[in-house]
Amino acid sequence: MPTLWSRWLDLVDAAPDAPAVVHAKAGEEPFRWRRGELLAAASRYAAQLAAEGVRPGDVCALIVRHHRDFYPLYLGVAAIGALPAVLAYPNPRLHPAKFREGLMGMSRRSGLDWLLVERDLEAIVRPLTAGSGSTIRELLFPLEWNRGAGEVMEVFPPGPADDAAPCLLQHSSGTTGLQKPVVLSHRAVLEHVSVYSRSIALSPSDRVVSWLPLYHDMGLIAAFHLPLASGIPTMQLDPFEWVAAPILLLEAIAAERGTLTWLPNFAYNLLADRCRDDEMEGIALDSMRMFINCSEPVRAESHARFLARFARYGVRPEMLAACYAMAETTFAATQTAPGEPARVVAASREALAEGRVRSAGAGDVVRACVSSGRPIAGCVVEAVDGERRRLPAGQVGELRIRSGSMFDGYRHYPEKTAEVLADGWYYSGDYGFIDGGECFVVGRKKDIVIIAGKNIYPEDVEDLVGNIDGVLPGRVVAFGVDDDALGTEQLCVVAETECAGDDAQGRLRRRIVEAAMQIDITVSRVYLVSPRWLVKSSSGKPSRNGNRVRVLEELGAAAAAQTE
Amino acid sequence: MISPELKDIILRVLRLDDVELHDATTAAEVPGWDSLSHVAILSAVEEAYGIRFRTMDILRLRTVGDLQALVDRKSGTASGARP
Repeated sequence: MPTLWSRWLDLVDAAPDAPAVVHAKAGEEPFRWRRGELLAAASRYAAQLAAEGVRPGDVCALIVRHHRDFYPLYLGVAAIGALPAVLAYPNPRLHPAKFREGLMGMSRRSGLDWLLVERDLEAIVRPLTAGSGSTIRELLFPLEWNRGAGEVMEVFPPGPADDAAPCLLQHSSGTTGLQKPVVLSHRAVLEHVSVYSRSIALSPSDRVVSWLPLYHDMGLIAAFHLPLASGIPTMQLDPFEWVAAPILLLEAIAAERGTLTWLPNFAYNLLADRCRDDEMEGIALDSMRMFINCSEPVRAESHARFLARFARYGVRPEMLAACYAMAETTFAATQTAPGEPARVVAASREALAEGRVRSAGAGDVVRACVSSGRPIAGCVVEAVDGERRRLPAGQVGELRIRSGSMFDGYRHYPEKTAEVLADGWYYSGDYGFIDGGECFVVGRKKDIVIIAGKNIYPEDVEDLVGNIDGVLPGRVVAFGVDDDALGTEQLCVVAETECAGDDAQGRLRRRIVEAAMQIDITVSRVYLVSPRWLVKSSSGKPSRNGNRVRVLEELGAAAAAQTE
Repeated sequence: MISPELKDIILRVLRLDDVELHDATTAAEVPGWDSLSHVAILSAVEEAYGIRFRTMDILRLRTVGDLQALVDRKSGTASGARP
């Protein structure tokens, strides 16, 4: 069996001048890596990394911004049999100490050996080396090595030999430092890429265009490894530029004649709402085969809005596909078939809340559930009850997955692995149902809030807010509420306080928002309530769902008016 | 100087009572100003002033002062030219 590196070498042998990665930067000509040049640059990075002491099996955390040498650097790590782990570059909002704490936690959990970073981060991350109790051996600043440019080589290094060896480490999404590390082998990634390619009928004429960050499995596997191992070009946009100017994605699709892109649900709303007609002039989207909605619950309204906005530019209903994916199964578990629109089931909301799927009739409140498609080859998805017994079609339960590209467990985290992995099944914590052989995801077992594709654990926010002066300790709940306009969720915090008066409450509200910002979380609504207001659950702790209902019923309108 | 009009728009989108805004203030220093609200602020500013920002204008913004200067330039009310 091949390894990632040997697959890339084969592709270079077949067509060294074929396009591989197109690096886009707004206002500049894109930089185009051809296969041969990319692997030559990767080989030069590999040689330097080895000279610095990086050994096979070492974990190399890459924390660099959008840069054209990121790709050969990543491949260079893989070439010596070390494991690249792409981590998010710290947002300016994130407090440096919090970022460092997160990295420390991650280093202990994931066993990071090297930090490959930009010089700008040196002062923040230097304390994590020698003597700090972290596993990090040294910082490296590879972008200063300038190994990108140079001669194309005649002979490339052979790369790792064992296809069962680990090839990369990715993290399940979540709060920095608490994310769970997933290690994947060459075989798992290549098999997954091959199976998933068939499910989307990938062909040599495909072109991926993506703004997704590569620290996320959707960006890394779908928009980077898949095209790279399949020999099709992928254009990579800067995520920070894209979110400020969403039109960049559509311009890139038009310019490159893109055919595939993966997007979290909020992106459909953002694109539909923020791309103006005058900007759209000359942009054609008819080259696209699929916009694949993934990583957030898929909303029928977002698809409808996107279609209504861009139909005149060539978007057709059958281009709007969906995928159910997770780092634990390498990436995809289910996928809409190419050429078919994602199916929508108009279910009764009331019946759904009781765990049954019933078509909405007259007088029913409708919940439009969008299908994430059928399981891809080698995958089985089932809904199960609380005892983990399989439920018949049309009943809502936790979704469990069996996959040919299943992870072996979280690295150094047996207790977490035992919670989710049993008898070859991965228990996802997502609620959903199977209908007509297709998978519909409708909610979460845990109270995770997903904002713009990013998972947020309410506990993290509650712990933080509960320690703020003025908030009664432990008397806080955080939860998500749907924001249909944005096509995602927004985070609400309810805190008990003895603080009275508009000024004092205004200051406290502000302190809460600012504290959350320091861990890079945006709190959209803060409701301050008097002591003993919060509804308790049977365990004596404030109940998230109970208070969510109470807040929306009693305070929603009043508090919204107060803060606006 | 950040004009009261611009400040009002920012406060309204971010649902803030008040916040100090100087030329050198960056989004990261303002409660609630993240990447999604950034886009909302820019849209609200465009609407309020009846102006349109270009992609590169948006990507060059680093501070609130940059945004004020851009608004002034686009709406033809650069402070120096004001009567």
